[in-house]
Amino acid sequence: MLVAIAALAALPARADEASPSPRPTVPARIVSLAPSVTETLFALGAGPRVVAVSTFCDYPPEVRSLPKIGSFVAPSVEAIIAQRPDVVIGAPSPGNHEAALALERVGIAVVAPDPEHLAAMPDVIRTIAAAAGVPDEGERLVARIEREMAAVRARVAGLPRRRVLMAVGQDPLVGVGDTSFIGELLAEAGATNVAPPGVPWPRITLEYVVARDPEVIIDTSMGTEQQSGASGFWQRLPSLAAVRDGRVYAFRSDRILRPGPRLPAGFEDLARLVHPEAWR
Amino acid sequence: MAVGQLTRARLVRVNGVLLAMLAVSVVAAAAIGPVRIDWRRAFDLSLASPDAVILFRTRIPRVLMAAIVGGALATAGAALQALLRNPLADPHLLGVSSGAALAGVCALVLRPVLLGHTLVVPAAAFAGALASMWIVVGLSRVDRRLESYTLLLVGVIYNAFAGALLMFINSVVDFYQAHNVLFWLMGSLGTTDYTVVGALALYTLVGLVMLLARARDLDCLSLGDDRAAELGVRVERARVVTFVAASLLVGAVVSVSGMIGFVGLVIPHLVRLRTGSDHRLLLPASYLAGAIFLVWADTAARTALGGTEMPVGVVTALCGAPFFVYLLRRERRRAGM
Amino acid sequence: MTVREGTEGEDLTAPLLDLERVSFAYGRHVAVRELSLHVAEGEMLAIAGPNGSGKSTLLGLLSGVRRPSGGVVRLAGKDLSAYDRRTVARTVAVVPQESAIAFPYRVGEMVLIGRAPHLKGIGLESAHDVAVAEDAMRRTGVLALADRPLGELSGGERQRVIVARALAQEPRLLLLDEPTTFLDLRHAIEILDLLAELNARERLTVVAVLHDLTIAAMYFRRIAFLKEGALACDGPASEVLTEPTLRSIFDADVRVRIDEDGLPLVRPRRRP
Repeated sequence: MLVAIAALAALPARADEASPSPRPTVPARIVSLAPSVTETLFALGAGPRVVAVSTFCDYPPEVRSLPKIGSFVAPSVEAIIAQRPDVVIGAPSPGNHEAALALERVGIAVVAPDPEHLAAMPDVIRTIAAAAGVPDEGERLVARIEREMAAVRARVAGLPRRRVLMAVGQDPLVGVGDTSFIGELLAEAGATNVAPPGVPWPRITLEYVVARDPEVIIDTSMGTEQQSGASGFWQRLPSLAAVRDGRVYAFRSDRILRPGPRLPAGFEDLARLVHPEAWR
Repeated sequence: MAVGQLTRARLVRVNGVLLAMLAVSVVAAAAIGPVRIDWRRAFDLSLASPDAVILFRTRIPRVLMAAIVGGALATAGAALQALLRNPLADPHLLGVSSGAALAGVCALVLRPVLLGHTLVVPAAAFAGALASMWIVVGLSRVDRRLESYTLLLVGVIYNAFAGALLMFINSVVDFYQAHNVLFWLMGSLGTTDYTVVGALALYTLVGLVMLLARARDLDCLSLGDDRAAELGVRVERARVVTFVAASLLVGAVVSVSGMIGFVGLVIPHLVRLRTGSDHRLLLPASYLAGAIFLVWADTAARTALGGTEMPVGVVTALCGAPFFVYLLRRERRRAGM
Repeated sequence: MTVREGTEGEDLTAPLLDLERVSFAYGRHVAVRELSLHVAEGEMLAIAGPNGSGKSTLLGLLSGVRRPSGGVVRLAGKDLSAYDRRTVARTVAVVPQESAIAFPYRVGEMVLIGRAPHLKGIGLESAHDVAVAEDAMRRTGVLALADRPLGELSGGERQRVIVARALAQEPRLLLLDEPTTFLDLRHAIEILDLLAELNARERLTVVAVLHDLTIAAMYFRRIAFLKEGALACDGPASEVLTEPTLRSIFDADVRVRIDEDGLPLVRPRRRP
């Protein structure tokens, strides 16, 4: 049983799943398979044409009343077909590869650009926009996002890098690695990631963290609101600079997990924790 | 003595040697890790220096935890093997571990809602272990009789059921929680909290004492329920007490460190090869041997890869599986019993 | 061997074992029905009968491992179920038909397990316990095998070890379920001679389920036959081992002849 779960979690996300080519006409019925795609579609103004979303899609609030076609990991092919979509847009995951193939076999176009890297984001948005029939809106959205991201980058530019640990789990300690999407954001926010390099979600030995002595700790496993103050876990490592200086933050990372229109806001939240002085 | 009985001298000698080996292992393991410690600064008890924090807050609690967990698993394994008359029994077989895992995972997943205190997950898991124990015993009791065969079957079914629920949970949570769940299940001995270590030591001590008091009964039980009754054992009671004690050990361990396999299965066998099957020696020796084994396995798990660590269950399985096959073939080669 | 002591409050005039209208059922199958039987101290009783007649169940009832669904089993005048198991185990020992042993115990260790009902608390065996076990092994001829793992022994050797274990319990009553099945002629005779000697010298009461009626007649002064869970007949060999009786019990044709020593020989009669 555990082997099955391990296999599922260990499958790498696939490279670009784009099917032959998106329909040239403006699709009237769109199904979205991923929360980030849903947000992007609405930001592009294609919201009214989105007929169904995944169970994890929760933004903007109006999508909560839309029909659901399964989870991000395991979409229901039947439910999707029942919605008679003109195009299905998602993000690649180990679970939905089969679904994508099944949909293509019945002649439904599937577009699934892979937002694995920060640098790929503009193209991902462009692909989604093209598939939704609004390429110009796509360019505008890309431009806006780039502008806002650049503004944040400018604030922290030139500031000395801070050693940051971002943790997504305490027991065991799992960190955000430099090769992950969020890890890239951290780097852009002016942080030196103290997690062991080369792995997207490293399971970190605690003594390694103590030796690297992070100045800021962002812990997404603690609580639901951003709050200052360390939890008991970090308090037991009093030699850490972050603990001594009171820079241990709980963080609800939902927004920045999504490579979508809210990314700049999440990026700014992150940067504010790394370099609060840039906003005073 | 021609008869080969267990003497006090032997009991003391074997356990003494193992205890010494454990002490050495604990000290050595505390000195080993991916980070080099500056030993001049490491004994600063104000914990201002990272070396001291590493030694006293990350390594020592963890090594102690490994010793306690390894010992508990090995002893529970030996006891269950006697109870089920099956040298292939593993402490996770009886459903208590998966019940603990299920409860722990539920707490893990719901934690943001529950305003997590760090001990919510272990507490929930332990409660799950106790509940599972109660359920499995309850379901196995037919007409107020508790038979080993029934216990085994109910345990296996319960495992399957809990396992299915676990898979279900893992399929409906979001990606990051799924990862958390998976990692929790794989097991981790990392802790910085001496109160957890202390609490675990206490619970496992209770279970251990319960089992040691019944050691001779276990010898009799391993011959068969009728044989045990003929030798004066109150079979029902002995079975229930053994099961409860073993469940206490396993439940406490799984709550805090997840599922670590192979220790409970392989260590009793290894020990039996050297000490014989008399449970009065087998149980304490298994505890100590299990402790030593897991201390080293965990040292490998947390040191081999630099800053990242392998789940200790991986190390125990990698060592345990080939060794187990070797043991199995060796036993099969002898005349069948 | 030590003197076998009576249990507290024992009625010394009562038979050692007394079954009064005892019944036992496995679910709906009645294995023993309304069986009444006395066994006096110092008796040697053989129990025989066709397969499935309830012999093993009867032994289980005699040792207290099986509780009767009807009737009462009394040991030394007192209801067997009223004793605690350890007391019973110091009085009654069982040699089962076969033993599947899960762990690689050595011969010496296995025999010492027979001392379990005599151990105080969580103690180890004393020198006395060891002496008793040694003696039991010597008498059953397995002392030389003390160091060997049971798995390496032949069926017959293993059986003798189990007998030694039972004797190590220092029982007053020894119950055996087909003790000679796996033994060759020499060892079968040795065990039976041993039982006869213990019976004669120390008043060990022996109740054994046996298939071989000739051997039963040689060593056991009394034979009880079961058929379909009930007592078919019970008495000295000379009375009970007759052709008509055996024919009715076993539904088989047999020939009984008395040999020059006055002992009955039973053999099947071939169909013409």
